[in-house]
Amino acid sequence: MKASKVIIVRGRGVLSPGKEVNKKKLLQMYKRGLQVLTEQSDLREGFRVLFHSRDRIGIKINTIAGRKLTSLPEATLGLANLLAENGSQEKNIIIWDRTNRELKDSGYRLNLNGGGVKIFGTDTEGVGYNPALISHLNIGSRFSSIQSQHITTSISFAILKDHGLAGVTAGMKNYFGTIHNPNKYHDFNCNPFVAELFDTELIKNKHRLTILDCLVTQYHRGPSFHTHWAEYYNSLIFSLDPVAADFIGWQIIEKLRAKKGLPSLKEEAREPGYLFTAAKMGLGTANVKKIQIIEEEV
Amino acid sequence: MDRRQFFKTTGGITLLASSGMTSLLTDLYAFRGKANLSQVEARYYKELPEREIECLLCPRFCKLGDKERGYCGVRENIGGKYYTLVYGKACSINIDPIEKKPFFHFLPETNALSIATAGCNVNCKFCQNWEISQVRPEQVEHRDFPPNMVVEVAQRYNCPSIAYTYTEPVIFFEYMYDTSKEARKKQVRNTVVTGGHINPEPLQDLIKVVDAIKIDLKGFSEQFYANYVRGELQPVLEAIKIVAKSGIWLEIVYLVIPTLNDSIREIRSVCQWLVKEIGPEVPVHFSRFYPMYLVKNLPPTPVSTLERAHRVALEEGLHYVYIGNVPGHKAESTFCPKCKRIVIKRVGYHIQNVELNRGRCRFCNHPIPGIWS
Repeated sequence: MKASKVIIVRGRGVLSPGKEVNKKKLLQMYKRGLQVLTEQSDLREGFRVLFHSRDRIGIKINTIAGRKLTSLPEATLGLANLLAENGSQEKNIIIWDRTNRELKDSGYRLNLNGGGVKIFGTDTEGVGYNPALISHLNIGSRFSSIQSQHITTSISFAILKDHGLAGVTAGMKNYFGTIHNPNKYHDFNCNPFVAELFDTELIKNKHRLTILDCLVTQYHRGPSFHTHWAEYYNSLIFSLDPVAADFIGWQIIEKLRAKKGLPSLKEEAREPGYLFTAAKMGLGTANVKKIQIIEEEV
Repeated sequence: MDRRQFFKTTGGITLLASSGMTSLLTDLYAFRGKANLSQVEARYYKELPEREIECLLCPRFCKLGDKERGYCGVRENIGGKYYTLVYGKACSINIDPIEKKPFFHFLPETNALSIATAGCNVNCKFCQNWEISQVRPEQVEHRDFPPNMVVEVAQRYNCPSIAYTYTEPVIFFEYMYDTSKEARKKQVRNTVVTGGHINPEPLQDLIKVVDAIKIDLKGFSEQFYANYVRGELQPVLEAIKIVAKSGIWLEIVYLVIPTLNDSIREIRSVCQWLVKEIGPEVPVHFSRFYPMYLVKNLPPTPVSTLERAHRVALEEGLHYVYIGNVPGHKAESTFCPKCKRIVIKRVGYHIQNVELNRGRCRFCNHPIPGIWS
């Protein structure tokens, strides 16, 4: 069996305290990551591996923690522009999260009906959650109509964070933001709920790509922002394997914790066991020996 | 404004009244306010380092970072302080017969102004009201309905009691508590319909301002509570004991679900526990399950199962045992445990006949426990 590939692209200085994002470097990071991931030097060809030109692509971001620990607009729009320049139609790209308030608080300018890339939250009037309840294993939820109807394919563009209950929140748990009742799935370190939610058809069949935003990584006391426990890690992680991406993200958090003398997540009884559940369900790989890690620097 | 226009304008908020509907609806429409959420500091929590908090309201003890919400979905840590988002934000307002709660030994033949906000601190897979209980407050229509207005409406529409019901009133504790205090000042009584997932301290405080509590005992094993309720049994049993000891009126409902909690053994254990810990006089309602929410693969409870539970409860010594959700069944009525005659004859939520005299059986003078006036 071919190893799952996880690309870690580091861009030193792409983001530093009190400074603007270095957009040029960020773009280089995207390009390098996607080229290595898709094994295509031509990005258009690379995207063709993942998306059809008529796909309506959802970029599910994570804005819950506010401006200091969010999917930065510069980063998200940079990705959207790259997609648009390489085969996707701008109007078919939707950057989204749960609420317009959180999007605006994170610096996004909403765009529901205008030309170009769409940006809006599920709570936009006329969008909302589907009335139908989707029941799958331990999950019983209504899905955002953005996930169920507006988009045909999805990129989980998630912030890598420590999480007081789940242990780690990354690409898979980012999809908690697609349902109306995420508060019901935080018991038992979110296990098996993160895996089972991902396993629903509306997520699994539409998910194409995980990108973990590790420009700033909260390695302790997450998911809210605490300067003291945040690291300018200046990296992006790319993978087609949602479990492997999050597994490697977890290892990064553990390294940062160890560096600061913090106990491991296992020692704090909040190891992200949902990753092993996800692997058992066949959603991806949670075994470092079966993951090919490629580290790049731009 | 006619009724059709009203419903259109209110955007689907449940507003039904068994009497005086048009006037009530007009009144509540006048009360209509912003649909924004409240930000009232919660009563039971402690602050932790680094803007974290621990909720002390219910046995979940949610520990939350800044900007996070509890399991209930209606309480949020905002900058290290904990707030209720549903204070005065009613998503359901009805006038119901008190028998619908059900309270069978509490002011029979009266109406209760019944209110709820969104949210719940458990997630019963068989929830009958999941569309308002298993959502966040911003996902349902709600209206400003502050405590003084609740009491005013109750008085205006001749409701001698207010019922905090439909979802889980524990999660709107502050709203319920303040409304109850206001109601007491105006001689309006307060009833609570709850799953009993509440910690002893808030429960003791609540007991001081309410008059009756109905607790849904949803099963009698921790496994059932873990799998089907997403909660724990033991805190519910503790809550039942606290309420019983307090002296305020208590009734118990046990929803009988085929194959999940309907074994004779389990029913008998429940009844034995109630007789031993609470006493034989507590009314117990065995209610019929209908497929709903996440349990749609089971049939409605056979009436014979409910009758078997009823028989077992009487065998175990409970005096007031009822069958619910089977309109017209003879076990909807209250029988005098001494002379065995019907002292309150019910059909559905309607009372056909009351044979009580100052809380005693009119035939044999046996005292029937309850709040009768």
